[in-house]
Amino acid sequence: MLPRTVSRTFLFAAILMMPLSGCNVARLTINTPLTPQTVSFITEGQTTLTDVVNKLGAPDSITDAEGGAVVTYRFLNAKYSRVNFGWLVKPWSPVDPDLVFSRSGMGTDAFELLCDSNWVVTHQAFVRHRPDPLFTPYPF
Amino acid sequence: MRRAGLLLGAMLLTLNACAFSRGTLGEEIKTDTVNSIKKGVTTRADVLAQLGAPDRLLQLNGRDLFQYYRYDAKVGSLLLILINFSRVSVKSDDLFVIINRDGIVEDVIASKRTENLEFRFWPFGD
Repeated sequence: MLPRTVSRTFLFAAILMMPLSGCNVARLTINTPLTPQTVSFITEGQTTLTDVVNKLGAPDSITDAEGGAVVTYRFLNAKYSRVNFGWLVKPWSPVDPDLVFSRSGMGTDAFELLCDSNWVVTHQAFVRHRPDPLFTPYPF
Repeated sequence: MRRAGLLLGAMLLTLNACAFSRGTLGEEIKTDTVNSIKKGVTTRADVLAQLGAPDRLLQLNGRDLFQYYRYDAKVGSLLLILINFSRVSVKSDDLFVIINRDGIVEDVIASKRTENLEFRFWPFGD
C-alpha cells in the first residue's frame, strides 16, 4: 500500500522540480488506472482472486474481513498545469512580474473486492470513481 | 508527417534542458526468490530466511499474511523556453505470502509492474 504521504511527496517533488517558466504541464500516475471495462471480466460468486491477479496483477493491500478478506487496488492520476502571464510583459518591464494561474486535480480512486474464505469474489466496487481531471490552469 | 517534423523542429529550437530522475522505495523482489516459494511445502522460517521480515504483517482469518513491496518512480522532463512538460510514473512490485496456522505457505500472490515502467515526459494521453 502506498502511503498517502508518499504520493503527496511525489506530487510536490514533481511540482517543485519544474523551474519557473511561462507554462508548466505535469502529470503524476501511480499504477495503471482501472476502468469499469478493465474489471468487467469479474463475476461475483464465480471469479476467484487467482483469476483477478492473473489479469490485474497483485493488489496493493489485503485486509481481514468477516469471513473473508478485502482486496484493494489503488491508483492515482494527478494533473497539474500552470501559466505565468507575467512572461508577456517581461521584455518591457524593469521588474520581473508574475501573474500565475495554476490548478491541479487528483483522480484518486481504488477498486475493492470482497472475497470469501475460498478466495471467491463476492462483491466488487470502485471506492470513489472520480472523473479524470483535466489540464485546465484557470483556477476560478 | 510534415506537421510532426515541424513540431519536432520547433521543440529542438526552443529546447532548454531535459531531466531524468528516478527514485525507489524498498528492495527488489527477485522473480527467482518468488518462484522458490512453494505452496504446501515452504515454511514461515524459509520465507523469512529468503526475503527477510515483511514490510507489513497482517492477520487474515487466523492466517498470517506477509506483504513485501517495492516502488519505482521515473520522472522525465522536457524543459522548453516557454513551456515545460513533465511526467512522474510510479509503479509497484507486490508480494503477498499467506501462511496457515501450521506455519506452511498456503498461497503466494505476486506481480512485477515495475518491469514495464518507462521514462515519459509527455503528460497527455494514457
